Amino acid sequence: MRTRKWTPYASVFRLRARLETQYRAAALGGLVTQAFFGSVLVCLYTALFDGNDPRALQETVTYVWLQQMFFRMLLNNDSELNGLIMTGGIAYTMIRPIDQHAYWMMRELATRLVGALMRLIPMVLLQFILPASMRMTLPESPVALMQFMVSLVLGAVILSEISGVRDVVIMKTLDTRGISAMINLIQMIFSGNIIPLTLFPDKAQALIRYQPFAQALDAPSRMYLHAQSAPEWLFNLSVQLGWIVLIAGLGRLLWARQMNRMTVQGG
Amino acid sequence: MAFIEAQNLSRSFVRYSAAKDGGLTRLWRRERTTIEALSGATFSVERGELVGLIGPNGAGKSTTVKLLTGILTPTDGTCVVDGRVPWQERREHVRHLGAVFGQRTQLWWDVPIRDSFELLRDMYSLEQGPWQKRLDMLVDALDLGELMRAPLRQLSLGQRMRAELCGSLLHEPALLFLDEPTIGLDAVSKLKLRAFLKEENARGTTILLTTHDMEDMLALCSRVMVLGHGKLLYDGQLDALLGRYDTVHILRAVYDGAPDPSRLSGLNCTRDGDAYIVTYEPEKQPTAEVLSQVLGAGAVREMTLKEQNVDELIARMYQEMAL
Repeated sequence: MRTRKWTPYASVFRLRARLETQYRAAALGGLVTQAFFGSVLVCLYTALFDGNDPRALQETVTYVWLQQMFFRMLLNNDSELNGLIMTGGIAYTMIRPIDQHAYWMMRELATRLVGALMRLIPMVLLQFILPASMRMTLPESPVALMQFMVSLVLGAVILSEISGVRDVVIMKTLDTRGISAMINLIQMIFSGNIIPLTLFPDKAQALIRYQPFAQALDAPSRMYLHAQSAPEWLFNLSVQLGWIVLIAGLGRLLWARQMNRMTVQGG
Repeated sequence: MAFIEAQNLSRSFVRYSAAKDGGLTRLWRRERTTIEALSGATFSVERGELVGLIGPNGAGKSTTVKLLTGILTPTDGTCVVDGRVPWQERREHVRHLGAVFGQRTQLWWDVPIRDSFELLRDMYSLEQGPWQKRLDMLVDALDLGELMRAPLRQLSLGQRMRAELCGSLLHEPALLFLDEPTIGLDAVSKLKLRAFLKEENARGTTILLTTHDMEDMLALCSRVMVLGHGKLLYDGQLDALLGRYDTVHILRAVYDGAPDPSRLSGLNCTRDGDAYIVTYEPEKQPTAEVLSQVLGAGAVREMTLKEQNVDELIARMYQEMAL
């Protein structure tokens, strides 16, 4: 086996992915929660639309289910990382010949993607037992599905990088609760998990559509509903990539600065 | 140039605490204290040495290790390990070192230890063939065969420590840091671990050992560095250090009734419950003299006489060095 530069990072992705598949009970618990919230929201919107605009309702229902299916991507709950940061143990990963930030971000990404996949299959099966009016629709076209999948992976990268910035705040405050509560709330609102972002005022749309949280889950969902033209899609991809570069850059900068100041807690 | 060269190596920390006086101003006023975790340590270590690092808690041992591993940057001074400055060429530097921190785990908690070892193989870019050979050798020497499929969380402390040691040696480091590797281990595990470390050292690995366990020190190290209050207080042969002190005897006597205090004057005597403890150096005060004083002071019911053990000796040494 020839070892390449990215081998360590592929390896940490693989291992974290494998670990995630061990958490089957957590996946089941998540499934129940997401099925419940999805059903409640779908009923709510059905009542709200009150028979008007069945097409818009259909799209909203699909959007709600997509958000619930990939909810796992929004969670910042790598307890091992949190623990390592709070005890200062994270400094000990410095004795590995790897890029710290890239290592942890790969781990975050694996947690999010594989965690979401674990919930995806049962969530899809759930659709078959729901009453017809509550079901989501298929993607608009194979192109829409492809655009959705690519953007969703980029979305998971954005969320991982945001979590990387959050980690630096934890290094500073030595407590996960404050910053996590804040980030979770912001993420859930601005990714469209609580209210579909299309339902925000029209005037705010231009702003709200392109902020990083929307680019994580909202943008892919829109592609699922309506395939974008090639230029449109390329534009959206570059918005996503732009956020990744920006947030990852910020994360790396802060991370390196904080690591140098680290005063390993105790021992 | 020696394998490790430290010149005036220093590291201080700033600690903030609430101001002691002042009412409401305490809300925003903080007191700043600078703590010298390590100041002006100069030493060198040759390739293949096994050096012990001892000192009471907070003496600067861990700080020294963190500086040498490149985890911390010094506030003053320099050090070069195998031609590299740890914190400047961190990634190349750490490729050649291994570390076991007794109180912290470096393997993944929830996955089989074999998986953690595979991750390490990829982290250090090791080739599959040589890695497998090395792993087999370590698994055999550390008796880990049965445990490879078990997640770390299921291992006992002794098993975990052996797994950690295996993980730290997979990439055949030239320099190995051990921070209290025998902490919490039973007697058999300790002996096995010491034997293994001796072999590893004989194979040419330079080892820096931090410990509070004096038995470890006696069994493994010929050279020790004693740290206290962030300063390097002694650097030399363990025998020579112990030789300075090895003449103290401890006499423990219990009297029927109270002894005559005037007869005990001139002796270094303390009380421990019913017992009177007399410590003396036979070279300055012959045992016969001490004994006649102790026996003359009253009716001795029981009496024991022994040499000071290493732990007591080190405690005394710390005391004399005002630690």
